[in-house]
Amino acid sequence: MLSRVADSLYWMSRNIERSENNARVLSVQLIHMLEAQNQEASDRDWEEIVEVCASAKDYYSLYDRLDRETLIQYLTISPFNVNSLMNCMNYARENARSTRDILPEELWEVLNAFHLDQKEWQELPNTRQHTQDYLDRVIKTSMTSQGVIESSMSRGTPYTFIKVGKWLERAEKTARILNVTCEKNRKEADVPTDHYYYWLTALQFLNGYDAYIKEHPPTMESKHVLSFLIKEGTFPRSIRYCMDHVFEAVNKLEDGKISHYSEDLFQMLELIQDEITRTNIEEMDMNELMSFLDHFQDRCMTLSRMFSQTYYLIEPVHVK
Amino acid sequence: MLTNYQTGVYFDEMMKQDGAPKRHYQWFYQLVNQFTERDLMKKHETAQLNFLRQGITFTVYNHTGGTERTMPFDFVPIIIPRQDWEEIEKGMKQRMTALNHFLEDIYHDQEIIEAGVIPRELIENNPYYYNKQVSGIDIPLRNHIFLAGVDLIRDEKGQYRVLEDNLRNPSGMSYVFQNRYVMRQVYPELFFQHSIETLEHQLSELHQAVTSHLPANANPTKAATAVLLTPGIYNSAYYDHVFLAQQMGIELVEGRDLIVKDDVVYMKTIKGLKRVDIIYRRIDDDFLDPEAFRPDSALGVSGLLRAYQKGNVSILNGIGNGVADDKAMYVYVPDMIRFYLGEDPIIPNVETYFLSDPERLDYVLDHIHELVVKNVGASGGYDMLIGPQSEESEREEFKKKIIENPHQYIAQPTIKLSRAPAYQEGRFYPCHVDLRVFVMNGEKTNVLHGGLSRVALKEGSLVVNSSQGGGGKDTWILTESGDQHA
Repeated sequence: MLSRVADSLYWMSRNIERSENNARVLSVQLIHMLEAQNQEASDRDWEEIVEVCASAKDYYSLYDRLDRETLIQYLTISPFNVNSLMNCMNYARENARSTRDILPEELWEVLNAFHLDQKEWQELPNTRQHTQDYLDRVIKTSMTSQGVIESSMSRGTPYTFIKVGKWLERAEKTARILNVTCEKNRKEADVPTDHYYYWLTALQFLNGYDAYIKEHPPTMESKHVLSFLIKEGTFPRSIRYCMDHVFEAVNKLEDGKISHYSEDLFQMLELIQDEITRTNIEEMDMNELMSFLDHFQDRCMTLSRMFSQTYYLIEPVHVK
Repeated sequence: MLTNYQTGVYFDEMMKQDGAPKRHYQWFYQLVNQFTERDLMKKHETAQLNFLRQGITFTVYNHTGGTERTMPFDFVPIIIPRQDWEEIEKGMKQRMTALNHFLEDIYHDQEIIEAGVIPRELIENNPYYYNKQVSGIDIPLRNHIFLAGVDLIRDEKGQYRVLEDNLRNPSGMSYVFQNRYVMRQVYPELFFQHSIETLEHQLSELHQAVTSHLPANANPTKAATAVLLTPGIYNSAYYDHVFLAQQMGIELVEGRDLIVKDDVVYMKTIKGLKRVDIIYRRIDDDFLDPEAFRPDSALGVSGLLRAYQKGNVSILNGIGNGVADDKAMYVYVPDMIRFYLGEDPIIPNVETYFLSDPERLDYVLDHIHELVVKNVGASGGYDMLIGPQSEESEREEFKKKIIENPHQYIAQPTIKLSRAPAYQEGRFYPCHVDLRVFVMNGEKTNVLHGGLSRVALKEGSLVVNSSQGGGGKDTWILTESGDQHA
């Protein structure tokens, strides 16, 4: 397969996953906002949303202060935010368009339908209901895309690149959300606030509330939630689940053989798995957990770079 | 439905002057009469949506960038009786054989110039004549024209005439297949009563034509690797490229996916470099290789021409074909047929005047309101004047351009282009049509059954180009005989 095509598939998948995750975070927040106890707490929540869905630095380079409506606009349809839902979905469509010859026709149609409808969405009045509908549409489009991929793509190389993109994006997002939640926990450790609420939110952001509650009937212990979202091998958004599957996919791509060009990649994958296994969440305090999550996010970036280099997804540097 | 339909002075594909359908349209006519107006509206809408949803679009360029548009589809097919089609097929094969001889000749011995049939300066001054780059190269099968898209029109007597030979990068073949696909989905009833030549197998014919162009130095023990080279997603014909690559099962590559090393072409894959033997390119000559043509081209591949010259890679269509499908060279195609084949042309040209001829020039300036004037270098309906439909100011402007640069223009009498009914906005009305016939050449020649019927949907308009508001129709070749006396 062409390197450019592999790169497009990888990024198409990351972009779809990213928009789904961000749409869910925003959607959950819009509902929580209705119950927020005071303005101050609500504003703090929005700070975290920026950190999860984009970057605060980028946001403040454009705007002086955090204004709720501006922020919603920024995260949904702003052309100035590279991670806005509109941009991610447009990138995904362009990626799909440049690889149409190897993708299932329906996948292209799903992304194209979103694109065609989006024009109308942008012209609708900016109401809460409309925003929620838009977020729902993003989530459903991502889910439908995954359905098409699962039900009609051969489990060959193109499929594998799509899956690796998805799992890496997902693992990173889980780590990001947990990091922000831990940070909040740590800051407010002395205040008798409702920690239950933070962990519940983290679970909702990651679509894991229902799955968690089945395992841990109605308790919301931070250790349990963290353990669930980091190490639970059966939950498809836990860090461990995602990394196990990246490992499996690369292994399949290489027929289980380690070659000179893939050696570094395999070593990194094993190292990451090892680090996750060795981590004892029960015994870690918030500071330790945060540095574990920070470290893991760095690992994800390194891994993404190594993966790209191994398959020539990045234009090699020309030696003259 | 068609009760108030007037054929006027034009030749109509479907209707006779007395308001009755021609014999080969009888079935179609009766069936359509059974549809209610609501049915028709609904079906029409479904068909247009189908194209949009599938993203079967072309890109229209304007000053703000590109806009994706679908080509409007009209459901009234162009039906061609068997016997007429066989004549077209023969005519196309004859014409392509002569044109291919011509290309081989002018890049080698130039016999046709020596014989005084075509003036030397007409070839040497042609901007698409790449003598320096490609003369003397022996190409696989000596075939320069792997795919041609020949535009045919019919005059007021119903005589088919060639309007243009597109020998560089003719597009639109995907629409032929998609038109048929949508037609079957939306109007299945119409297919029950007709025996129509199928389009299946046509893409495998195309694939065979591609792979038969094995370069001289290809590894004989390995299956050849063919690719389709596209300028990318912003090109107006990108959908065409996707469709053809996918259907032929060959890789769709962009210039940046290819690299030339030691005069061999490779593509960059996730497992390293892979040798490429045959390139069906959809990039114009000028942009193909910055080393040999335009140095500012970002679409091409450096060193491609060297690989071609050495016989390490085949490039389809051949480089330098533009000299043969130029609007000026068009005038000489009947002479080419006589010179190389010793035959008379089966399908005639449209009468054409060179404005470089001073006598013609005076005539054209006096009669510009009756003529069509075209820039010999332009295509897609750009820089042309349709005399009878023009404003005084446009005519004056064109006269100035012609006097300044007479070599750049040709003129043709306005032909009463044939028409066919089109159904748009709830009614049938007559629209001008033409037909793009696709000829594929490899080890053998194959003409795609039917081709792409294009229709000028704007009432009264003569321009069928999709970039100028034209649409498409399905084209049916009847498999039964006996319907030709319509």
